[in-house]
Amino acid sequence: MNHTKAIGIALASVLLGGGALALAGYSLASATPHQTAQKCVPNPTQAGHCTLTISSYPDSLAGEHGTTGGAHPDWVSYMNQDLSVPTNTVIDVVVNQYDSGEKLNNIFFDQVMGTVGNVATYDGVTMSKVSPDHVAHTFTLRGYPGIDGQSGKRLFVNVPLPANEGDNAVKIGSGEYPKPLVVKFSFKTGSKGVYQWNCEYPCGSSRVGQFGFAMSSYGYMSGTLTVE
Amino acid sequence: MTNSNENKKSLKSFYWLWAILTVLGVAASLYAPGYLMPKSMSQSMHLSILTMVVFSVAAAPVAAGVYAAALYILRNWTHKGETVPAAGPAFRESGKVVITWTLTSILLTVFLLIWGLGALAADGAGSSSNPLVVKVVGQQWVWSFEYQGANGATVMSHDLYLPKGRDVQFHITSLDVTHGFWLPQMGIQVDANDETITDLRVTPNKLGTFDVRCTQFCGLNHAFMVTQGHVLTPSAFTTWLNAQPARS
Repeated sequence: MNHTKAIGIALASVLLGGGALALAGYSLASATPHQTAQKCVPNPTQAGHCTLTISSYPDSLAGEHGTTGGAHPDWVSYMNQDLSVPTNTVIDVVVNQYDSGEKLNNIFFDQVMGTVGNVATYDGVTMSKVSPDHVAHTFTLRGYPGIDGQSGKRLFVNVPLPANEGDNAVKIGSGEYPKPLVVKFSFKTGSKGVYQWNCEYPCGSSRVGQFGFAMSSYGYMSGTLTVE
Repeated sequence: MTNSNENKKSLKSFYWLWAILTVLGVAASLYAPGYLMPKSMSQSMHLSILTMVVFSVAAAPVAAGVYAAALYILRNWTHKGETVPAAGPAFRESGKVVITWTLTSILLTVFLLIWGLGALAADGAGSSSNPLVVKVVGQQWVWSFEYQGANGATVMSHDLYLPKGRDVQFHITSLDVTHGFWLPQMGIQVDANDETITDLRVTPNKLGTFDVRCTQFCGLNHAFMVTQGHVLTPSAFTTWLNAQPARS
């Protein structure tokens, strides 16, 4: 084999390898469900506050997956996964909770943590913890802003969402649900960054600890909170 | 005779290269860990850093010898042409060479063994009869920590609080998949397994904050399974513990 041929083969191998990597990266990036982030709405009556409204459902028939429920209509879901909020602002969160529930596997998550006053209101009643025996989901936001370093404000917010045991009464999308249990809480943001949140009640079924399926796929029980 | 002299003369460049690379390797071994490894907050981590430095210094001449030989061979024995070159001298048939590298390997290995046993013995963690017991629970994708508070009540926290100077015994477990409980600045790491409790001890010896990370790829948000630890003075730790709500 002469040198020119050897160099040609080497270059072709590098190009093929690089192309394969680029293709894999592009495929992975494309596979991540992309949706428009739900933006926080400034509160006209309270300076420095804005309101974020989200919902949790027992299926995927009412949220971002459309009325058909997408690929997995029976998977539990939050209506919005990607949330956008301003810096140094008190975020007033309203969660409409439509799903039933069972016992938490870790009572650590039955307590409200990281919110203003470490409390939340449940249908108007202020509580710092809920019964661990009847929990549907949690809204658990944690970590550093991004994984590129540990600068910025560290957030840890956990709010348990009690089970909604009511009968079906409302129709949203193509799903029917009980009257929502309304959970309200507030937390304060710091500087810019992207945080991760997810549900910590093992509602995904299958796999070890019921953390499979909806719990281990983007677009259902987890998402990002972008502080910008 | 002429060939022998030429070989000795030629080998001088190899010895010089070996010496220079050894000096560079020893210098890197002495200074790099200070920049690359986490700051020590326990005797365990101090011994880990010291062991890394000593082992790297011991390995420097060996690694330098390999690189020097490779560079020397590339420089002097590169063959150009289509014909197969004549075989060079076979070192493995030289009694001196075989004895030297066998003895060197034995000495280095025995040194590493003695050092390792000495470091284990010097780590005082685990010697206390009254350690602070902390239950560590890994769950996709959050760490939680349980303490015994006043009157035996359970106290739970997302941040890990430890008192300075007291032996801490971790009872580590997982509620789902395997996680890796790693405290870089404390120099300890062990897997957190479902339905199994693994014991691990450490004695923090510096005040400040440290990282708590997961080292096992545990699913979707593994990269975000981080939290922070705090080493407090014993009185500040007691104050913190007493201020936490009791859990059922």
